[in-house]
Formats: sequence, structure tokens, C-alpha cells
Amino acid sequence: MKGFDGKLVGSVHPITRDECEMVHDAAIRVLEQGGVRCDDKRAAKMFEDVGCKLENNRELVKIPEKVVMDALAKCPSSFTLHGRNDPTRDCSIGTGEVHFCTVTGRYIDDIHTGERRKVTRQDAIDGTLMADALENVHGLYKPVMWLYDEEMICNSQILTTEWMKHTNKPGTWVYNTGAEHEVSDLIKMWQIAAGGEEEMRLKPHMLGHVVVNPPRVIDVHYTDWLIGFCDSGTPLSIESALMGGATGPATRAGMLVQCMVEIYSLVVQSQSYKPGHPLAFCSFSPAMDMRTGLWATGTPEYGINGGGIAAMAKYHNIPVVGFGMSDSCEFDQQTAHEKALKNYNYALAGLSWIIDLGGTAGFNLVSWPEMVLENEMAAYIGEYLKGIQVDEERLSVDTILKVGPLPGSYMKEKHTRKWFREEFYMPELNNKEFFESWQRGHVELQEKAKQKALSILDNHQSPVAVEIQQELDSYLDFCMQRDLG
Amino acid sequence: MSIEINEEYFEKLALTVIDGEEEECIKLVNDGLEAGVDPLDAVEKGLARGIDKVGEDFGAGIIFLPELAMAADVMKQGTAILDERIKEVGSTRLSHGKIIIGTIKGDIHDIGKSVVAAVLQANGYDVVDIGIDIDIDTFIDAVKEHDADALGMSTLLTLPLMEMENVIKRMQEIGMRDKVKVIVGGCPVTQEFADEIGADAVGFDAQDAVFKLDRLLGINRPRKSA
Repeated sequence: MKGFDGKLVGSVHPITRDECEMVHDAAIRVLEQGGVRCDDKRAAKMFEDVGCKLENNRELVKIPEKVVMDALAKCPSSFTLHGRNDPTRDCSIGTGEVHFCTVTGRYIDDIHTGERRKVTRQDAIDGTLMADALENVHGLYKPVMWLYDEEMICNSQILTTEWMKHTNKPGTWVYNTGAEHEVSDLIKMWQIAAGGEEEMRLKPHMLGHVVVNPPRVIDVHYTDWLIGFCDSGTPLSIESALMGGATGPATRAGMLVQCMVEIYSLVVQSQSYKPGHPLAFCSFSPAMDMRTGLWATGTPEYGINGGGIAAMAKYHNIPVVGFGMSDSCEFDQQTAHEKALKNYNYALAGLSWIIDLGGTAGFNLVSWPEMVLENEMAAYIGEYLKGIQVDEERLSVDTILKVGPLPGSYMKEKHTRKWFREEFYMPELNNKEFFESWQRGHVELQEKAKQKALSILDNHQSPVAVEIQQELDSYLDFCMQRDLG
Repeated sequence: MSIEINEEYFEKLALTVIDGEEEECIKLVNDGLEAGVDPLDAVEKGLARGIDKVGEDFGAGIIFLPELAMAADVMKQGTAILDERIKEVGSTRLSHGKIIIGTIKGDIHDIGKSVVAAVLQANGYDVVDIGIDIDIDTFIDAVKEHDADALGMSTLLTLPLMEMENVIKRMQEIGMRDKVKVIVGGCPVTQEFADEIGADAVGFDAQDAVFKLDRLLGINRPRKSA
């Protein structure tokens, strides 16, 4: 799907180009002097192959600047996350478009009963159909975190089956349970959904996240994923998951330096394993809440850090993506302002793929009416990104001269009729009524969102071909038989 | 020159904990021992007073986790020196209880467990943090070695949850379970899960872990809120 591509995309960053250079130099100092710990022998070999120095029984990797720069030079400046068998769903990453993607959670506010409960397999289906139907949702993260009504063994496989069966929009994946066959099974399922192994290699539809364990550890699980993603042609999202003040420094600049240390190390690792493999830098680094020790995902420093990563991505001409999120434990004003501010900040900084719609409470809670509301928030952001387009016709001088001074009116002018739909944003759900009329009687915003969500759940059908759905079911049966007997 | 053991000395000792001054604490403890301080007094009138104040200030929102964690660490360093001397004189130090804490096998997430450890320490528990990716035997051996009153297990992932159940089963098999309370925690851990595997409690956050452990070990302390 075409994303939002206004003139303001990528126009605002929290650091200057000179400061990018300082951050880069600092990150290189850390990589050259301290390096990263490498817990995986395969990964150590990848680093060694491109000229990194292995120390401490091959467990410490020192990475020279030249190796980093050579690896960065191999990365494409853009790539496409394809719709599955549907080119209208293609999302272009790194070309100045902003796409919005859903987020995940362990609990749901049940749309029918209002009860807050743990998520189930049916919620995975409903969340996928919601995302498939909404016009400003360009892609999906896993619709729910886990399926609490299913066995934990094969949980990711069941979740992925339902996800792939109910949408053709592209997606984004971070490893889930750590189960033995998770990597190979999920990649197989994505290939089935794409129409085959080669089809997926040619038209990848998932963004695969690989994370450094902060501070500065390349671990086994994510190396498994990195190899799986690269082998299957799945573009990478590479990120530090540091928490400022806990697994990262307690300054914004220091957080950014460590993020870049960890991101650079993954650039080197991936480009050594598969030169030219597409990747994006990713924002996923909040500070720690200093009272609870939890991720502070809704706070300004997280969004600002994402802007900093975007600045560094622009500096190196690499695509950039990121996770949003709010800390609020319900869908309220806190959720609204934390998300709107962060996502607008992200979009201004040029993030191509923002993973945030429909959830809150630090990846713990989802709601379908909220996904509807945030679908509208995405549209607002898209409108802001347009900025003001200045050309002779839009400057409107002839019309201004024609109409004014009073009692002239622009309402019946052809110029108005021609332009207002394109230049003015008309929200679908947000209130625009006159105050007294609203007082006399209205439907609350939450209720409007709920009605729209219910209508989608009642009427929206999966666009996925029946044969693909059947093949996914068969493969899931195989996995269940293998793992559960 | 030998220092004088008086109220001012104990206050200074408490302050090293409050300010997170590890080197100063160790120096004062060693100087005190040289000057003949009763090691029990050094803990109870000095270090414990400091950590009590830190716990109070943390609860009141005056100080934050980094200050609390540093204070807990200083307290631990000072207490370790004093404990040796307490043992030598055949005495025992008052503690709310000793807890072994670690992240379960299959998971290397450290922060949540470390935060709980720091808050428990600041609330008067002896905490032995045995780290991450801990297997059954290591948990069991640590409980035995330290004669612990409670065991805390944490994870952020789903599959390692099963390992928690296996640790509890092993405790039952070797007759340890009745003597040691088990508290579990981490993102995927629910009350239902804790009940199912036979844990005594879930700590949903660090303060909740203190509250639940107090209840399990019969510790009564004034609480500002329920």
C-alpha cells in the first residue's frame, strides 16, 4: 500500500549532521576498543571473515571502522515489503513513504463484553481481519502476543497460520517463544503464504527483526533468526533493545551511541553472511522507568532516540523503521498523546515503517476499537506530513483578487470545489459538530470506533486464497503432530 | 589513628549506604572493626538504618532505582565483611530472610530480576542473586548452600516457564519444597500459572514481590497503602 509521502517526511531530526559524525565516531571507538561479546560460534566466524579481530577465546569481537563502512556500503538504500500475491499491498521502505503497522499485546479489551482478558486464537483472527480492513494500516506485527488458549509448544506456528490466513498485507516479526522449530516453521509458513520459496525470495513480505542483547552481546537465538531471514530473502530490521539507565547509558547521546554500536555490529554480521542483503535500522530503545524498572515506552526520550537513529540512517543512506508504544494501561488521553507525539516525531524523522497501532501498556494490551481510532490518528499524521504545497494555482492569487473584499465568499468558487478535498482533511470519526448540537445528542468517539470495529468483524472476509489457507493448515497439522503427537 | 565508636560513627555508616559510597563504607567498616565495634551494632545501628531510610525514600518517590540499587550494593559489601566477624563471635544477625533469585534456564533477561533483588535487599532481605539462564541443579544447590528461606524465579519468555515447574517438582522430590517458599515473576507469569505449578506467590512487580514475600515469611511492617 502506498504510504504517506508528504514533503515533511525525513525533515526533522534531533541531531545535526555534524553531531551524527560525533555519534558515529564515538560508536566506532567503542567497537574498536571494547567490541561486542559474541555468544555464537557461527556469528564469530561471520565477523572474522570480514576482518574483525576475535579475542578472549573468540568470544570478543573488535570491529574496525573500515569493516563497518564496507558493510554499510553493501546495504541497499531501499527495499519493498510485498503484499502476498497482491501488489496493491506493497510497501516501499526507504523511499520517503511512511507506513503504519499494528502492534501486539497479551491482553485484550473484549469488544463484545468489555472484559479485559488474555488473548486467544480467535483474537489473532479478529486482529488480523481488523488490520486487513483498515485503510491506514499498511502492515501487521503479530496480532496478539501469544495464544493463551493453545499449547505453548507450537504457539507461534498456530498464531502465524491464522495471521497468514487472514491478510495479504506485509508483516514484521520478532521471535516469540524460542521453541525448537520456530525459525524454520515460520519461514516455511511465510513461504507458503507467498506462494512458494522462490516467490518469497523475489517478493519478501515480512520484515525480520534481529536484536543485539544489550549491552553489546550477539546471541545465539538472534543469530538463528538472522541466518533464517537472510537465507529466505527476508529483509532485516536491526536494533538495539537497550533500556537507558539499565542496559544502556543514562544520557540521550550515550543511548544513541550504544544503539549505533549494536546496530553497526549487526550490519557487519549480516553483510558478512549475505552481502547486499536489505536491512533497516530500527528504533526500539526506551529508557528504564526509574521507579518500576519497566520500559518507559511512551516517554519523549524513546521517540527522540528513534529520531536520532533516523538521523544516523539518513547519514548512511539506510532505511529506518521503529516501534512506537504507550505506557498507559488503558486507552485514554495518555495513550493518545504519547502515541500521536511519538509517531509524528517518527514520521518527521523519516521512519518508513512505524509499528504501533491498536495496542498500549508496553506491548501488553490490544483493542480493536483502539486500532480504529489509531487508524484515524495515522491519517492525521499523513495530513500533517503533506505540509504546505506551494505552486501558482495553490497560491490562489487570482481567486483572492476575485472574491474579496467582503461581502465576497469563496464557498461557491470553482477553485474551492477543486481543491478543498485535497487540501483539507475530513476525519471519519473525530467530532466536528457545533458545540450545542453535540450537547443535545451525540455518539461518543469510543462508541463510533466500536461500531466500526464490529462492522469490520461482521463483514470483512479474508482476501487469502482458499488453497493457500488449506496449505497453511496442512503444514500446521504437520507441526502439531511432530511436536505434540 | 583509631576512630571512636559512637552515634556519629553509626550515622556516618548509615550515610555511606544512603549515598551509595562503597569505598567509604568498606573503609568505615574496617576502621570500626579495628576500633572494636560490635559487628552486630555496625549492621543494625549503621548499615540497616541506612537501608531502611533508602527503602522509605524509594517508597515515597524521593529516590529512584539507580540510587536504591547502589545503596543495596553498598549494604551488601559492608554486611559481607561484618558477617564474617559476626560468625567468628558465634552471633547471628537479624534478617527478614534469605532469598535465592535468578532467571530461569533458557532466558538471559537480567534487569527485571535485578530490580526485584535490589528492592528486596533495600527492604531488609538477604538476597543471593545467582544470575541468568539458571538450571534446576544450580537453583537447588544455591538454596541448600545458603539455607535459604525462599526461592525467586523469573522469566520474560514463555517456553522457560515450564522450567519453573520442573524446579518446583525437583524441590518436592528431594523434600525441600515444604521448607522453602517459592515466588515467581516476569512478563508471562500469571496467578493461574503460579497456582498451576505450585508456586506460593507471583510478584507482579518489585514492590509486590516484597509484599508477597513478607506475607509468606510472616514479616509485619508498617505499610503506607494496601
